[in-house]
Amino acid sequence: MPGRILKKSWLIKSIFFISAFIILLIGGITYRSINNLSQSSALLTQTYKLNVELEKIFIDLKDAETGQQGFIITNDPIYLRPYNVGRENINASFAALKELGSDNIPLQNDLKDLNSLIDTRMEYFERAFRYSSVGNYYDENFTVNFNKGKETMDTIDVKIHGMIDSQNELLQKRQQAYESNLKVTPMFLYMVLLLSLLLMFIAYTKIIRDLKKIKAVNEQLEIFKESTNQSQVISQHGNWILNVDEKTFEYSDNLYRLLGEEPQSFTASTTNFSNYVHPEDQEKFKKEMERLFKYNDLPFIYFRIVQKNGMVRHFKAFGKEYNNSEGKRKVLGTISDITGEIEHFKILEERNLELERNNRELSAFNYVASHDLQEPLRKIQTFLSRLEDKESANLSEVGLLYMTRIKNAASRMRMLIDDLLQFSRTNKADKSFELADMNVLLENAQQDLAEIITEENAIITAGKLPTIKLIPFQIQQLFSNLINNSLKYKSKNRNPEIQITYSKVKASEEPELVNAHKSYYHKITIKDNGIGFNNEYAENIFVLFNRLHNKDEYSGTGIGLSICKKIVENHQGFIFGSGTPDKGAVFTFFLPLS
Amino acid sequence: MQEDYINIILADDDADDRMFFTDAFEELKITTKVKTFNDGVELMDYLHTDDAVFPNVLFLDLNMPRKSGLECLTEIKQSDKFNDMAIAIYSTSASEEDIEKTFVMGANIYIKKPNDFKTLKKVLQEVITINWQYHTNGLNKDNFLLRL
Amino acid sequence: MKLHLKFDFNALCRKVLDDKLKEHGIKHKILGFGEIELLEKLSDERLEKLSNELNEYCIEIVENQKSILVQKIKDAITNMVFNSDTNVNLKASAYLADTLGHSYGYLSNLFSEVTYTSIENFIIIQKIEYTKQLIINENLSLTEIAFKLNYSSVAHLSTQFKNTTGITPSSFQRIITKRRELIQNQTN
Repeated sequence: MPGRILKKSWLIKSIFFISAFIILLIGGITYRSINNLSQSSALLTQTYKLNVELEKIFIDLKDAETGQQGFIITNDPIYLRPYNVGRENINASFAALKELGSDNIPLQNDLKDLNSLIDTRMEYFERAFRYSSVGNYYDENFTVNFNKGKETMDTIDVKIHGMIDSQNELLQKRQQAYESNLKVTPMFLYMVLLLSLLLMFIAYTKIIRDLKKIKAVNEQLEIFKESTNQSQVISQHGNWILNVDEKTFEYSDNLYRLLGEEPQSFTASTTNFSNYVHPEDQEKFKKEMERLFKYNDLPFIYFRIVQKNGMVRHFKAFGKEYNNSEGKRKVLGTISDITGEIEHFKILEERNLELERNNRELSAFNYVASHDLQEPLRKIQTFLSRLEDKESANLSEVGLLYMTRIKNAASRMRMLIDDLLQFSRTNKADKSFELADMNVLLENAQQDLAEIITEENAIITAGKLPTIKLIPFQIQQLFSNLINNSLKYKSKNRNPEIQITYSKVKASEEPELVNAHKSYYHKITIKDNGIGFNNEYAENIFVLFNRLHNKDEYSGTGIGLSICKKIVENHQGFIFGSGTPDKGAVFTFFLPLS
Repeated sequence: MQEDYINIILADDDADDRMFFTDAFEELKITTKVKTFNDGVELMDYLHTDDAVFPNVLFLDLNMPRKSGLECLTEIKQSDKFNDMAIAIYSTSASEEDIEKTFVMGANIYIKKPNDFKTLKKVLQEVITINWQYHTNGLNKDNFLLRL
Repeated sequence: MKLHLKFDFNALCRKVLDDKLKEHGIKHKILGFGEIELLEKLSDERLEKLSNELNEYCIEIVENQKSILVQKIKDAITNMVFNSDTNVNLKASAYLADTLGHSYGYLSNLFSEVTYTSIENFIIIQKIEYTKQLIINENLSLTEIAFKLNYSSVAHLSTQFKNTTGITPSSFQRIITKRRELIQNQTN
């Protein structure tokens, strides 16, 4: 997330600068417009003022002329007053005009001309006054000056009005400019405003969005931090960070707790940490720290620490270099308290050893018992037979009867011991698995039973069986036992027929394989048409020494199927039997695919 | 059987079994000379003597102290001078694999000690007969394997 | 001076025979009165030489017709079993009667008298012996062997094999193979 924001920052920066530039540009233009506007406004005012002053001058002149005329007629000095006032005003106006038109050269020139004209007029006024006397209107000097004065006045009139006109022209021009400025300037202003707003809006939304993202990331980080803290506490580990360039460490709170201390109770460093390392592991730890500083890397190391209260704990530590985007090198590491694991492991190992020992003892016991019981039993039987041979004549009928009974009991015992011995031999411990062709094993089993098979006219058909890893002798015995069973429990009404089929199955598709660990199994079924059995005994028949018939009907000790089960279990497989009374039985065994 | 006598040796640590064995031969119609030894060491010591008379058939018990039947078997097979001897393992029950192992190691015959005397006689008779047949008919002794 | 003597003719003959045969370096067994089992076959030449020497003691080698015939029977049977050229479908009795020019009944009785076993038994022994050879030397399958030796089925062959030897043909094969491996390992 931060990466994305960072990448965008270039874009944002450039957008910002371009927009700012545009705004400044437009702003400059606007400023100039406004300037122009005010300038033109000022000029307008100036021109108005000029015109006003010019008009004033003319009026004042006219007033002066009127006054003069009044005086000339009446010789009343009261009429001289407008004249004098007029002159003063004219002077003032001139001064004002001069000031107003200070930057207007043509105007200045005109003013000069006007000034000289006005001076001339004033001259004529003065002359006219000099030469005037009441009643004497026909003095030549007077009329000449008076008329000349009148001419000058006309010229002034023309002049002033010409000036006024040109000023008006100018005024018009300026007015036009003013008006056009007036039109454009608000538009520029408006544009600037809009663009600024737009820019602000974009910036605003971007910032808000980024803020949101950062906030979300922050929140995530917060949650993450919190959950890390929690997980550290629960799983008993702590995190550490090595800042490679500064060679300083940071320890997580829980790391301190693992050492039996309060969080952040001492400065994080290897020296301080090694105070807790078990004396016997100090060397190793030191070496590993050197390696850490050299390679910025710490493969899994194991060591013990001793807490202040004397408790020894087993630790596992690991560290790996981390390069974040700003290029600051760090090593991120973990320390785990594995005392629990180690102890569990030790206990498990002990238990396993004990179990193995128990098993071995039981097997040995089993074997030795069966094996060593055979000897005395055999002696008993043999001596019995000798006795029979040699001393039958000397025995009474009761004696003979008892002897028979003894023989029978001994035989029974012999069978049981033989079977027990066979059962105990089916121990997996010392048998090795090898790749073998099950067809060959089946064939061997049939050969072993060849005599009975021929005797009973049994027909055995088999599909193709696989070649898999198994204990050959045991699987051969499995076949042998199952076929023997089918032959033994044949129906009196028909010749035994045994069908052996094979298929590869998925554990999930076989209802009987609910507890299976592997996914695929080899399935072999052995179906016969014998006397079958009641399905409610389907599990019973595999129990050691369990029989469904008494020993007078069918020989046997009930160990055959138990041995079958043990063999199949040795191969991590399963065996099941189902029967239909008088119809037959089906035995199925599953061997896992390795 | 037209024979002078057949030489038999038995090595077995059990006194009762030795008794059964010799009694059985006594009751058989075959003329035999039976010698018994108490364990493997006694047996091998005898066999290595210069004037030892090698038996036609040597019966070996497997479980003997000091030197077991298998050890004797291995030793015997290492020397060519015993090649005319048929070796019979005479033992209480063993597993299929163990029985096969004795054959592989060179035994010709494996006999599981029977439970009654009559069977014992029958078995011993058969051993001697078949052995003699091999002998007189020039059959390949390397392939001579018999299990009773 | 007179010496009174007692004679044990039996022991006397035995000693003479023993010494003579030992002289010739012939391994032998003295079976009973009038019969010696030679443990090796003698060429006609050597036999004649022996015969001549024994004649000096007035001991004559009598050609035992019976023994000769029995040996012929054995040879014929061996030939019949081991020779794959022979039409194996011939019944043994007919074959023997034809080959040896005597009735089967006579041959059968003679055989049992001399060898204490029956012809049938002998045939079975030979067949099993041949089977063993075929298994080992020619690696034939049981089906092939059963066919070759005129057994009605593999099961029949297996049964007879097991009855005769006490082990199954496949066990036999396994054992011989492992024996060879063992010897190989030992010599290495």
